Amino acid sequence: MTLQQQIRRNRLRSSIVVVGFIVLLGVVAGLIGAVLDLRLGVVALIGSGLYAIYAIISSRRIVARMTGAQEIGPEQLRPLRRLVENVSIAAGLPVTPDVRIVDDPAPNAFAAGIRPQTSYVGVTTGLLRVMPKRELEAVLAHEISHVRNRDTYLMTMATIFAGVIALIADLGFRMLLYGGGRSRRGGALVIVLAVIGLLLAPYAALLLKLSLSRRREFLADAGSAELLNDPEAMALALRRLQQDTTTVAYADASVAHLWVESPTSRVESERRGVLALSSLFDTHPPIEQRITALEESGGFRLPERLPLDEPFAVELGLH
Amino acid sequence: MLWLWIALGVVAILLVLVVVGYNRLVRLRNEVATGWANIEVQLERRGDLIPNLVETVKGYAAHERGVFEEVTRARAALQQAGGPAEAGEANDLLGAALGRLFAVAEAYPELRASENFLRLQDELTDTEDKISAARRYYNSTVQHYNTGIQSLPWVLVARLLGFHEREFFSAEGDTATPQVSFTPAA
Repeated sequence: MTLQQQIRRNRLRSSIVVVGFIVLLGVVAGLIGAVLDLRLGVVALIGSGLYAIYAIISSRRIVARMTGAQEIGPEQLRPLRRLVENVSIAAGLPVTPDVRIVDDPAPNAFAAGIRPQTSYVGVTTGLLRVMPKRELEAVLAHEISHVRNRDTYLMTMATIFAGVIALIADLGFRMLLYGGGRSRRGGALVIVLAVIGLLLAPYAALLLKLSLSRRREFLADAGSAELLNDPEAMALALRRLQQDTTTVAYADASVAHLWVESPTSRVESERRGVLALSSLFDTHPPIEQRITALEESGGFRLPERLPLDEPFAVELGLH
Repeated sequence: MLWLWIALGVVAILLVLVVVGYNRLVRLRNEVATGWANIEVQLERRGDLIPNLVETVKGYAAHERGVFEEVTRARAALQQAGGPAEAGEANDLLGAALGRLFAVAEAYPELRASENFLRLQDELTDTEDKISAARRYYNSTVQHYNTGIQSLPWVLVARLLGFHEREFFSAEGDTATPQVSFTPAA
């Protein structure tokens, strides 16, 4: 599949996701309208539509706040900016996305934005301190692949709609439970169905979003390998991330899917012992699987020990 | 009557396929053009840096004339290059000539300490990295485009429709990117 096909497929998929979420939204609003009040359903629908539009417009800012990413001046961290420029050129992006820094010891990176023109790449200071240049470039190429493949667009849409649906369903559910008998309409069966529907809708939205997010990670790994012509670099970077045990302090679950490595994975794996289903709810595929995929497509085996090259932070003059 | 409808349906499907396929080739060709424009931007930037660099080095090592001439010649050859393959070769030659210029510069500690020289050296290294990045993108677009017009059924009519194969930038195609290091060994 060529790049352009992939991009168009993602755009199509984004549209399907949007349609799917709108249908889900309609169902939720319909349930509210049916068992509570028709006007309430309409208000919920319009309100959530407006909220979704607002969220799409301000998603850049919201993501920056939730991840704690800081803008850096044009002259700061020149070498880092250059690496991003180079992978953007190799990806054929029309512009180079901005670089933002998250002051956090956990090594991680993410990409955000609706269009390549307004996208940016965020990296933690921890990533700069751990990764040598070659691996850092691979991670940046992974993020730029997300931008190029329009994954950031797809995932922003999915996140916003999942959030909106969870919000309304929750609201409707509470009103149904605590709103008192006078506001309820319809027979017992309708109410039971509505309760079930309102309970399940947020999970349906979440599953839809997460199944998208995991597949995108494999594609972005492959994209990184292709952009740099160096699949081993991405595999090495993943192994290094895997061996690091710190997690991102800003790890807000709502933006977990944005990062190159799941920022909350330690918590997730502890929970997995109890709940076998939880891999359905993971934002990222296991790192081991991602390394294996790279090894198979690149025809190499990772060495037992990681190279001891100096981290890129040294070149940047960070301490 | 039924046969007529079936025939019409088949024709309609074929038409759609032709339109979709043709548009795809046009898109691939445009991507090649974009990829080439990206390379040209970087080649131009590199070409612009060179006279400045030569002047700076001349200020400290005026008698190393042979190297200056070689660099100037290689730059002119790159600017006159006819197509991607030729430009790729000229670019490699320029890289080699610049490598020799920097090797010569090694012998002049004052030059190596000059801020202007260091800045130019840094910019050239950066441009070289960007050329190789742009080359990877361009070569991948060429590969997709060439594959597109070489596969059936387009291979039969591509030339008639004005789709011609494009050259890769650099003789080796898209294999490992040759890295010319300008950084003086410590």
